Amino acid sequence: MNEPTDTDDEEDIVLSELDDGELVEQMHDDLYNGLKEEIEEGTHILLGRGWSPSRVLDEALVEGMRIVGVDFRDGILFVPEVLMAANAMKSGMSILRPLLAETGAESIGKVVIGTVKGDIHDIGKNLVGMMLEGAGFEVIDIGINNPVEKYLAALEEHKPDILGMSALLTTTMPYMKVVIDTLKEQGLREDYIVLVGGAPLNEEFGEAVGADAYCRDAAVAVETAKTLIAERRQQRAIG
Amino acid sequence: MSDSTNAEASSPAPSARKRRRRGGGGAGPATGESTKLRQLARTTARSRFAPIAALDEDQLELIHEATMELLENLGIEVLGEQALALFRDAGADVGADGIVRMDRALVTQTIANAPQHFTLTPRNPANALVAGGDEVHFGLVSGPPNVHDNVNGRRAGNVKDYRDMIRLGQAFDVIGFFGNQAIAPTDLPPGTRHLDTTIANLTLADKVFFATGIGAGRCRDAVELCAIARGLALDEMPTHPTVLTNINVNSPRKLDDAMAYGAMQMAMLGQAVAVTPFTLMGAMTPATMAGALVQQNAEALLGICLVQLTRPGAPVVYGGFTSNVDMRSGSPAFGTPENAFANIAGGQLARRYKLPYRTSACNASNAVDAQATWETQMALWSAVMGHGNFIYHAAGWLEGGLVASFEKVVMDCEMLQHMRRLLAPVTITREEIGLEAMRDVGPGGHFFGCDHTMARFRDAFYEPFLSDWQNHENWQLAGAKDATARATDVWRRVLKEFEAPPIDPGVAEALEAFAAHRREAIGGDEPPLEPIPL
Repeated sequence: MNEPTDTDDEEDIVLSELDDGELVEQMHDDLYNGLKEEIEEGTHILLGRGWSPSRVLDEALVEGMRIVGVDFRDGILFVPEVLMAANAMKSGMSILRPLLAETGAESIGKVVIGTVKGDIHDIGKNLVGMMLEGAGFEVIDIGINNPVEKYLAALEEHKPDILGMSALLTTTMPYMKVVIDTLKEQGLREDYIVLVGGAPLNEEFGEAVGADAYCRDAAVAVETAKTLIAERRQQRAIG
Repeated sequence: MSDSTNAEASSPAPSARKRRRRGGGGAGPATGESTKLRQLARTTARSRFAPIAALDEDQLELIHEATMELLENLGIEVLGEQALALFRDAGADVGADGIVRMDRALVTQTIANAPQHFTLTPRNPANALVAGGDEVHFGLVSGPPNVHDNVNGRRAGNVKDYRDMIRLGQAFDVIGFFGNQAIAPTDLPPGTRHLDTTIANLTLADKVFFATGIGAGRCRDAVELCAIARGLALDEMPTHPTVLTNINVNSPRKLDDAMAYGAMQMAMLGQAVAVTPFTLMGAMTPATMAGALVQQNAEALLGICLVQLTRPGAPVVYGGFTSNVDMRSGSPAFGTPENAFANIAGGQLARRYKLPYRTSACNASNAVDAQATWETQMALWSAVMGHGNFIYHAAGWLEGGLVASFEKVVMDCEMLQHMRRLLAPVTITREEIGLEAMRDVGPGGHFFGCDHTMARFRDAFYEPFLSDWQNHENWQLAGAKDATARATDVWRRVLKEFEAPPIDPGVAEALEAFAAHRREAIGGDEPPLEPIPL
């Protein structure tokens, strides 16, 4: 059931009555407004019309979230609104994910993310995780206070594209180098893209510890993740 | 440092003028380059105006009630078995999930042990201060991982800049104390940099300071160094409160083991703890002032209970760090109306529980510009009007706490001196009123040259060291520098002229020896986490 719109003279929208083009546009709006059930309904309708899961993902969901991202960057959408949109996206993704796996389509990406050992701060990390999910990534959040063993175990289990590390304390951020050095020692460094973030960090620090990039906020984290994964896939295709 | 000071009370001089050598007084040449920095005479600022009641009595009680409900029903997660054991033994309900719930009678009786005020004596007893009551103390910035000045730009925190920041903190009399760590010296190993910063605090300066509270080991090391500096044995420290730490609660509703154990270690050694929730509305608390104040209150009181359970009567400070986030980006904002209100209301809460109050004067500007100033002013006024005893970050804070700024220290000290002078008592007497002078000057006359003025002109008014009041043409001739540019000249001069306070070479050596021994023991690891009783 669709929510009534603000204006009195607009009729209730029945998604199934919209043609493909109109439905996709409506799904963009519904994503923007964080309407979870409507997105699920729209996703089912398009699949029912024979759309491939990839096409639903790219044209309806990812494109809709791209618009959300633009307005978030420009300060038009507030953080709570972006989180609602990401939630709606996530519920659409949960329908598509198993179908995408069946077709063998490449996922947008998978990320393991966690706060480093000695540090229990996670609000920023949680926002990054939500924004990544909103962009279609699969996110495994291993929580807070992670020694290198926990990161390694998660990498082993989930084989993500990206390892993300977060810290808020100047006394814990050096631990990121410990994790990266361990990856190097074990010959694993090249298998993963490593992104780092947190208020006291900066680009110089990211370089010094051997990360692939420092991400100054959640929106940049999403863009960086997309860019670096695309680059990596291109390199692998060539090589 | 200064050879011309403003006395806080003016006293009339005899009207007969004496010969004096040319060049007496304090004014420099018209170019504005005076040789000595003018500072207010060193006195203690006291809150004299009635504190502002931002919350009315009913509202205050509603917040108290909801605080008790939070502590009784929702509870607060505490990490650290030693801390949980204290709560358990005291009769709190400690869940297997680490959530501590305390009934209001237990909370009330536990915090009742805390002293309403206490004295802290650093290695120079002349810089002792009272925490609580009506004393107002302004603190140097604490925490930033970066440092900035307009000559060298923004760079990562490092020990050289740390030492210079401490020199500035020492040189400006209006700064009464240093916070946990003026700049994070990221060029030093994280496990031992607290040794370098504490020694800098003790050798380049001789004021009260806070020690970094991350884990018991760092706190214990700081107290040991303070004992050496004061010529005391460690077991004498509990009767000689010298140093504090500030711990943060990981809002919402979570106190980690490192902070809990740091607090406990300080309490065991008789040193003071400020418990400060980190409550940014919309992120760590509900997006309402009501919710933020309740949460701040509950978290602070729980931390204070932990300290009192560790050592009943241990000196504590009720800390508030409530502001809002920018809802568009999620970033912290300071110096906002919300921040200001919370600074005032926090004072009401601290006084309700008869505790000394720590608040802050922060801003979120990216540059030492007008925004930095208006935000700092909002926060500073509200901190003072809320009767803050410790006004943290009052000199040098920038960029929401990511930068410690040299220019900002200077500009803030000018603002702090303004505030200190505002708080100075005013004399209303027949002599001061000067009806006779008014009669002598007559209608339409002027007071510049009359005896009444001649007797008091030199220290009649606050004399700024940074404000520029020249007329436009003179200002142009002097280089047309705005306040920020003039601030650059000031800090450079202050550092150039800096002289560290004298210290017994034997003591200095003992401090370094202790640090060397600890560096070896800690190695590349973290200092010990858990507290060790005396």
